[in-house]
Amino acid sequence: MDKEQDVVAKMREIFPFPEGSIAVQRARRINAEFREGDFDDLFNRTVSAGEFTMLPAISGLDQGDCFAVIYHLAREDGIVLNLKRIVPKEKAEVRSVTRLFPCAELYERELMDMLGIAVNGLSAGRRYPLPEGWPEGQHPLRKDWNKESLDT
Amino acid sequence: MSPLKDVDIAVGPQHPALKEPASFLVSLRGETITSVNVKVGYNHRGIEKATEDRTYLQNLYLLERICGICSHTHATCYVQAVEELAALEVPRRAQYIRMLVGELERLHSHLLWFGVAAHEIGFDTLFMYSWRDRELVMDLLANITGNRVNYSVNTIGGVRRDISAEQAADILKAMDTLEERIKYYINVATEETTLINRLSGVGVLSREDAASLGAVGPTARASGIPRDVRKDDPYCAYAELDFKVCVSDTCDVFGRTVVRLRELQESCSMIRQMLAALPEGPLTVKAPRKVPAGEAFSRYEAPRGEDVHYVRSNGTEKPDRVKVRAPTLANIQAVSKMLEDRFLADLPIVIAAIDPCFSCTDRMVEVRRRGARSRELMSWEELRRHGIEWYRARGVDMGTLSRKYITR
Amino acid sequence: MSLVDTIMTWARIKSPWILHFNSGSCNGCDIEIVASLTPRFDLERFGIIQKGTPRHADVLVCSGPVTRQIEKRLVRIYEQMPEPKFVVAVGTCACSGGVFNGCYNVRGGIDRVIPVSAYIPGCAASPQAIIDGVVKLLESVKGGAAPEAAAPEEDGNG
Repeated sequence: MDKEQDVVAKMREIFPFPEGSIAVQRARRINAEFREGDFDDLFNRTVSAGEFTMLPAISGLDQGDCFAVIYHLAREDGIVLNLKRIVPKEKAEVRSVTRLFPCAELYERELMDMLGIAVNGLSAGRRYPLPEGWPEGQHPLRKDWNKESLDT
Repeated sequence: MSPLKDVDIAVGPQHPALKEPASFLVSLRGETITSVNVKVGYNHRGIEKATEDRTYLQNLYLLERICGICSHTHATCYVQAVEELAALEVPRRAQYIRMLVGELERLHSHLLWFGVAAHEIGFDTLFMYSWRDRELVMDLLANITGNRVNYSVNTIGGVRRDISAEQAADILKAMDTLEERIKYYINVATEETTLINRLSGVGVLSREDAASLGAVGPTARASGIPRDVRKDDPYCAYAELDFKVCVSDTCDVFGRTVVRLRELQESCSMIRQMLAALPEGPLTVKAPRKVPAGEAFSRYEAPRGEDVHYVRSNGTEKPDRVKVRAPTLANIQAVSKMLEDRFLADLPIVIAAIDPCFSCTDRMVEVRRRGARSRELMSWEELRRHGIEWYRARGVDMGTLSRKYITR
Repeated sequence: MSLVDTIMTWARIKSPWILHFNSGSCNGCDIEIVASLTPRFDLERFGIIQKGTPRHADVLVCSGPVTRQIEKRLVRIYEQMPEPKFVVAVGTCACSGGVFNGCYNVRGGIDRVIPVSAYIPGCAASPQAIIDGVVKLLESVKGGAAPEAAAPEEDGNG
């Protein structure tokens, strides 16, 4: 898996990933975890140095003690980097990546609706995917949320 | 002469049933669209949250029903992620059966799309013909899986049903007929000037825009981007099959039509290859009830484009998180671009051309005139007819085409 | 008279116009409804015509488990239909919520929101089942006994 290892090496040049936080999981799959530093800089440089031309999805998770936002980046040769950003619950915000990937808009609105993670730099727009009239502060994908919270 | 007033037209929410039916707020100047604002989410059911309360096997039946047209897509994409987490090696015969059902699904889906697109521009004869031919594929699917829709052929670790020699023979016979019919449709699409005029230059999406807006599937391939998950990030046993990625460089609805028709041909060829090389062996490997903790990212080339599933496991019998990004969500964001500076008459076919998951249901259009108090209600049917009449007035008449092609 | 003759007679007397609505389904049933109108199954031979607006519809053919955001729209469409009107719930999730039962954004079946005259189960309901269900409804209407419409239930399931 030379190509995958090359990508990992390039990323290590960009950012001091702690031991064990970046690895080739299998052919065409690299996982990396980010906890602290300048994420936006890492993201921008990874996209260009790693030649990632696609952002098929952004997955938001509630990992219990923290949130996580995974940017699934893909290359033309099929290699996918799952770049997971740990986001503290006390300061749940990230910067929009729509400047590099306009298609990220709906994926980022989903983070806002479903987990309540603020995304800075998004233009004003309608929510997605929850319906109009959905009550404030109700974020379905949080682990402590269940539908009984909705019953009024 | 007073300047033309800008008019806002809201299209939706029950519009060509996108997997997430959308509402389009269209601003018009005269007949020209100046901007389109897309709102999605009407079909949001809360499936991802629901997966956390169901076992991995139960989720297979839930996720299969994200979309009834490409249910095998979602089931397979999901099950691949789970099998990766459980480190299962799926038997080769099962991989081939998965591909077989997947390509049959592509056949029925593209034929469905072709008929719908024809209907949107007023070419109903083609709609009826293509859906009649589609029934051949529906019969095959019902024959080998037991259902016309939601085939449930997958289980964790393999497939639930085998293909017999008789069934294989039935499939090959149907391929003979279908290949003839597909050739006919390609001829019609590429030689009928009326059709070419109607679809060319409509819904243009440049290669750069397709790439930056994240378009996938035939929508991207018709803009010259040769992306296909079966080639780029092969799953099942696609690396063993010989097939072309179908690309066009016309960047318009015509290109999207030709790409899908050619994909029909490729799918028939792949089905023949699979049946000729169908490996012997078991249909499943045993799957554990509890899946070891981990994360997996699975991709699948649905008829509409790339589908992705992300699954996170935590060592229990239920997933910690399942995330799905269906292809239409990626393509819907390019629609605004495609409609810029186009005519209202093009709206139905441009939206249909990204092949949103479809429902031929009532679609109401709210016409909001700036400054007016009340709203007018227009049905999708009226909008569709507006498009047909508008083009007829300019010499592009699908009605005459329909009469020309009725041979029986 | 055979069943088909009876239906043909009824159809000549009053040709039912249907409105097809998706309240949040996976589209499986919707495609099968459309397929019923194509030549192989040909629901139209019973005089059934699909209309684009509720104001001209006799029968609302509805799929889906009713999502929260669609609910008001479904009610509005039902209210816009003139009497006499009938509602057919097509597919398991239209009947009961199906696999989506319990999902937070789903009401759990058409009859949670509007009265339903006929239920056609199946996931998806096949064109044959759809035709069978619609014909049974027409027959019962002709026979003078409209099927007991189930009144909307109190929301117990969210």
